[in-house]
Amino acid sequence: MKKYLPFTVWALCFALVGQAQEISRTDTILAHLQNPSQDYVLAVSHRGDWRYAPENSLPAIQRCIDLGVDIVEIDVRLTKDGHLVAMHDTTVDRTTNGSGKVSELTLEEIKSLRLKNACGVRGSRIQVPTLEEVMQLTKDKIMVNLDKVEGETVREVYQVLEKTGTVQQAIFKGRETVAFMRAKYGSLLDSIIYMPILIDNTKNPSRFVEEYNRELSPLAYEVTFASETSENYKQILKLKEQDIFVLHIALWDALVAGHTDEMSLLEGPDASWGWLIANGANGIMTDRPKALLAYLQNKGLRNNTTDWKK
Amino acid sequence: MKVNVLGILFFVIGILFGCRQESNETVSTVVKEGREVEKRLYPLPIDSLIGNLKNAHNDQVIVVAHRGDWRNAPENSLQAIENCIAMGVDMVEIDIRETKDGQLILMHDETIDRTTTGTGKVKELTWAYLQTLYLRDGIGHEIHHKIPTLKEALELCKDNILVNLDKSYTIFNKCYEIIKQTGTENQVVIKGAIPYDQVKKEFGSYLDNVFFMPIVRLHQPDSRTVVDDYLSRLQPVAFEFTVPQDTLKMIEYFDDIRQQGSSVWVNALWPHHNGGHDDEKAALNPEIYDWFIENHIDIIQTDRPQLLLDYLRARNLHY
Repeated sequence: MKKYLPFTVWALCFALVGQAQEISRTDTILAHLQNPSQDYVLAVSHRGDWRYAPENSLPAIQRCIDLGVDIVEIDVRLTKDGHLVAMHDTTVDRTTNGSGKVSELTLEEIKSLRLKNACGVRGSRIQVPTLEEVMQLTKDKIMVNLDKVEGETVREVYQVLEKTGTVQQAIFKGRETVAFMRAKYGSLLDSIIYMPILIDNTKNPSRFVEEYNRELSPLAYEVTFASETSENYKQILKLKEQDIFVLHIALWDALVAGHTDEMSLLEGPDASWGWLIANGANGIMTDRPKALLAYLQNKGLRNNTTDWKK
Repeated sequence: MKVNVLGILFFVIGILFGCRQESNETVSTVVKEGREVEKRLYPLPIDSLIGNLKNAHNDQVIVVAHRGDWRNAPENSLQAIENCIAMGVDMVEIDIRETKDGQLILMHDETIDRTTTGTGKVKELTWAYLQTLYLRDGIGHEIHHKIPTLKEALELCKDNILVNLDKSYTIFNKCYEIIKQTGTENQVVIKGAIPYDQVKKEFGSYLDNVFFMPIVRLHQPDSRTVVDDYLSRLQPVAFEFTVPQDTLKMIEYFDDIRQQGSSVWVNALWPHHNGGHDDEKAALNPEIYDWFIENHIDIIQTDRPQLLLDYLRARNLHY
C-alpha cells in the first residue's frame, strides 16, 4: 500500500481536476492526512505562530499560512452569550488587557479587549477573533486543529463550520472514549474529522484505540508519551501497521519523551524532530514552525508541496 | 565541492571582518542547516559598535532589541541576548532588579510571576530561592533557562554588543560595581527622563564613565529647553524622544540635533512612541520604518530586530 502512495495521492488530485474543481491547499493537506507517507511530514503550529504575533490571533494564523504550515492549532471557548472565540486559558487575564472568565463575558465585552504580545505588553491593536473569523481566514489555505472543544462544544463548532463551508478543513480532537462521544453526538461524529488523543492518563490505551478504530475509523491520532516504555508509545506501531496518521506534540518533555522543539536547539533537530519521525510521526506539532519547516524541507520531507499548490 | 568553496570564501570574509567566532566550524554548521551564512559573521568588533554610537553624523542606524530576542527565547535571558549577538543587533535592552539579599538580576516585572516558575516580588526574595526557578517562554511554559545575574549578562555582552540597563538608575552604584568588574564601562548606556542639573547632581560621578542618555517627551512644552540645556552642557551621545504624534514641531529639530553631535533615539515598540509608526504596523509593511529614516532618527529600539535589520540592510543603513 505504502509504495503506491504517491500515485494514490496524485490520482486523487487528478480525480479532483477531472471534476473541474480547483484543488485547494486544504485538499492536498487532507490527502496527506488520509494517506500518511514517509515522504511528507505535516507541520502543525501550536496556537498559530505565537512568536510572530499574539497566540490565537488572526495575524499569528496568517503567518502560518504565509510560512506554508499545514495545520494551525487553535483553542476555542464559548462566551457567556454563546459565541465561540479563540482563547487558550479559561480567563482572558494572561493574553489580553482585560480580566475575567470567557464564559462570564459577552462577545462584545471580549471584542473590546486587545491582545498582549508574548512579552506581556498591552499595546497591540489586535482583537480576540471569533471561530467564524478564524475559519474565514483559513478557508482553503490551511487546516485548523480545534483544541478545547473536546466532548463539550462540538455542536456549536459544527454550526460555524457549516456556515463557513469548512467542515472538511477542521480537525476536532479529544480524550473521551468513542462510547462517550457516540452517546453524546450520535451521527454528527460521522460528519466531522475527529482525532482521538492518547494522553498520559488514557485508561487502557490499547482498548481505547481498538474501540475507536472499530466504531469510527479515525484518520489520525494524537499520541503523547512520557517515555518509550509507556503504553501510549506502544500504540504507535499498531497505528502505523494500519496506515493511520500519527501526530506527535513536540512542545514539552512529557509529551514526546523529551524530544522537544527546545531539544532541537540544544542538540540539533535530528535528535528531536528526526527522532520523532523515526518513531512514527506523520505530523509534528511545534512552537517553532519556521525552523521545523526548514528542517523538513532539508530532509526531503516536504517534496510534494509546491507541485500541489494551485 | 561547492560547500567547500563557500566555506573558504566565508572563512576569509570572517577574518576580514575580525569575526571572533571560529568561522570554519561555524560556517560548516550553518551550511548543514541550510541557513544564511552571512548572518553568522556578527558580531562586529565592539570598537565599531561604540564608534558608531558616538558618531551622530553617519547614516548607519543602531538597532536596539527590547528585552533581547524575546520571540525566540525567554525575555531577559542569556539566550535572548545571544540571539541578538548572532543576528547582528547593536544594543540589547535589559531590565535590572535587586533581590532581597542584594543580588542584581535580569527581570522586567516587579514580581517574578509572569516570567518564572516562582511567585513573589524580587525585592522580597533571596537569590538562593531564585536560582531554583526556571524561566517561562512567551506562552507561559516552563523552559530550561534560568534567571541570569547582571554579571552573567555583562560577561556575555562584553566585546560583543552594547547594553542598555533599564530600571537601573536608582541602584546604579551597585550596577556600576559589576560593570567595573566585568570591564564593560564603555558598552553601557543608561537613560533617564530628568533634566541635566538633576543628573549632574545624582549621577555626576558616572557621567564620564558610562553613556548617559536623556529621555525627552516631545509633547511637553519645555522639551526644547531641556534638549538645548543638555546639548550645551553635556553633549550626550544621544537623546531618546517619545513622539506621541508625528505632527509635533520638535521632530523638525532632529536633523539639527544630529548636526550638533548627538544621535536621536526613538522607540518603534508602541504607537505612542512614534506617532503610530510602530513595529506591529511594520510587520504588515516594513516601509513603515521609512518614517524613522526620513526624520533623521539613527537609533531605533524594536520588538522586531530581525525585521528592522532586514529593512536597514536592504537600504545600506546597517552593516
